[in-house]
Amino acid sequence: MNYTFDFNSITFAPLLRGLVVSLELTVAANIIGVIAGFGLALLLMSPYRLLRMPFMLFVEFFRCTPAIVQIVWIFYCVPMLFDVFLDPITMGVLALGLNLTAFNAEAYRASIQAVPKEQIDAGIALGLNPWQRVLYIVFPTAFRASVPVLLTNGIVIFQQSALVAIVAIADLMYEAKSLATETYRPIETFTVVALIYFAVSFPITQIVGFLERRRQLLAG
Amino acid sequence: MTMSFSLPLVKMQALHKSYANGEIQVLKGIDIEMKPGDRVVVIGPSGGGKSTLLRVMMGLEKIDSGSISFDGKPYISSDGVGKKTIIDTNVRRSIGMVFQHYTLFPHLNVIQNLILAPCKVRGEPKAKAEARAQALLERFGLGAKARAFPAQLSGGQKQRVAIARALMLDPKLMLFDEVTSALDPELVSEVEQVIMQLASQNMPMMIVTHDMWFAKNIASRVIFCAGGVVVEDGPPEQVLGSPKEERTKEFIDRVFHIKQ
Amino acid sequence: MSLDFSVLARFEHALFLGLVTTLELTAVCILLGCTLGFLVGLARTSRSTILRLVSGTYVEFFRGTPVLIQLFWIFFCLPLILGVELSNFASGVIALTLYMGAITSETFRASLKSIGPEQRDACVALGLPSRVQVTSVILPQAVLRAIPTLLSNCVSLFKESALVSAVGMADLMFVGQNISNNTARPVEVLTVVALIYFVIAFPLTRAVTLVEGRILKKLAI
Repeated sequence: MNYTFDFNSITFAPLLRGLVVSLELTVAANIIGVIAGFGLALLLMSPYRLLRMPFMLFVEFFRCTPAIVQIVWIFYCVPMLFDVFLDPITMGVLALGLNLTAFNAEAYRASIQAVPKEQIDAGIALGLNPWQRVLYIVFPTAFRASVPVLLTNGIVIFQQSALVAIVAIADLMYEAKSLATETYRPIETFTVVALIYFAVSFPITQIVGFLERRRQLLAG
Repeated sequence: MTMSFSLPLVKMQALHKSYANGEIQVLKGIDIEMKPGDRVVVIGPSGGGKSTLLRVMMGLEKIDSGSISFDGKPYISSDGVGKKTIIDTNVRRSIGMVFQHYTLFPHLNVIQNLILAPCKVRGEPKAKAEARAQALLERFGLGAKARAFPAQLSGGQKQRVAIARALMLDPKLMLFDEVTSALDPELVSEVEQVIMQLASQNMPMMIVTHDMWFAKNIASRVIFCAGGVVVEDGPPEQVLGSPKEERTKEFIDRVFHIKQ
Repeated sequence: MSLDFSVLARFEHALFLGLVTTLELTAVCILLGCTLGFLVGLARTSRSTILRLVSGTYVEFFRGTPVLIQLFWIFFCLPLILGVELSNFASGVIALTLYMGAITSETFRASLKSIGPEQRDACVALGLPSRVQVTSVILPQAVLRAIPTLLSNCVSLFKESALVSAVGMADLMFVGQNISNNTARPVEVLTVVALIYFVIAFPLTRAVTLVEGRILKKLAI
């Protein structure tokens, strides 16, 4: 193998800049995804078919198409369709945020429907009105159950954020590719960047695992 | 009392077993002898060690110390906590066990469940095994269900299939672990009838149960087991009707009080 | 602005070829990936600590990093290490197989774990030796239980396959982007591309629920 390793050629400054951008995208997308996802979930469970259908279609569309297609579509088509100029980062946040909203909506919906019916029955038997039942019974249980999935989805978005490099947003992935081509040292660059992504994702997945084990223990 | 000079079928001596490295004692010195043809019913409070006893007999659990011999041959023994439990698997093959939750293989139909062990372990030809299996199923009134899957059977049917599956290996001793406890009340009697059938064919058996029907109608001997030891051991009329030990009396009173 | 979908008429064949490439790539990686995932899933539950550590590291790494970087690494770095040139198809297959192997190993591991210990008890009670226990009782149940999640893993793979366009492989996404650039009509072209992916992935996700229901009914789990 004719390759001499040279880790000194990696300048961390651009990589760190890229990491900050990736994290900004991720956090912003998560804020949108966690809040809007909940609203969307409620709409998905509405008893009115006319209200449900378009939103179900929205969710299915984001879940059944590649994220890269979504990102590229928003990048090229939104400015054209709506005659607006949005800066790249905003479009990145929009794409990732909508994607996350769709997945989170499913997660919320599943956890709301997983609240045991007996608990709601008990609420009715105690004389709670529908709003009180949602506030005191459904919401706390559902939210606790959905935290692991929300965290997992959040980390998936962090990894999907690497895709914005393809539309030339200067995130960590983009900086990695630039650096690799500039220095002709793809192995060192990509390995280090992969490790950076891993170093951010891994602790969160461990936390998720810990939370799930704790929940199982408590549930008995 | 019949005088019998035949060897005991099962001889358990000084069985000790604990969990968590000796912290939780489950069996604290069990001595039981089963004579050939005995039908022993073990009753007692939950956690008293009765199911553990059966599982140890089947070689599913290790023991700390003590020994079990079967048909005169050494079967299970151990020298102490942490030391290896020696189990003679050849002897183990002569014992059959039926569990509380039937534990049929869900991906195989009834006949396949029955012939799996004879074919794969003993090399019995498939056609012969199937014929035997079909005959057994007919005996238990399940002939029509031969090709059904466990998911399509009721609890009582599943349990009867589980019993048939164990019988396919011609065991010399059958162990029944709370086999009616998981069943709806209407389904219990069909299982009781099948076990009665086996009893009338002189199959030696050890039955752990809450269901007093077994103690009253099938047992040749009743053992009351509590706190990891054998408290009382004798014929059903004695243990159920006029128990010698205070603890046994308390238990019997409570059980019959609930039943009434 | 006006939409004109007729621009695509010229490119039907090109899009079709792109789709075929995507499907071929997906199919190959499903087969290789599931096999790899099965072996890794077994390794993760094995008694050997080394096997568990190695397989665990592999799975955590491939699940904890973006697929894009895995692809770039294989495409740019592997040739340098191995000293051979890798076509973008080969790079794509290797990267996606490794990814698929990691996610399916989790599926198999979970399904193996979900088989209750009572099944082992029943095998012991029937005197079934370990080999028979594993091949006739444990494995068939594990595979059946894994099928619904495996189907959804396949859909994920199908979606990730679009990334190979980033290393120049002429899959559906690559072709679509080219056409979009050529005709300067991204809305029509990219929408159609998205719809093609959707039309394939959506029925598969519905099939997952169907298959799950069927299997659950058969096994009464």
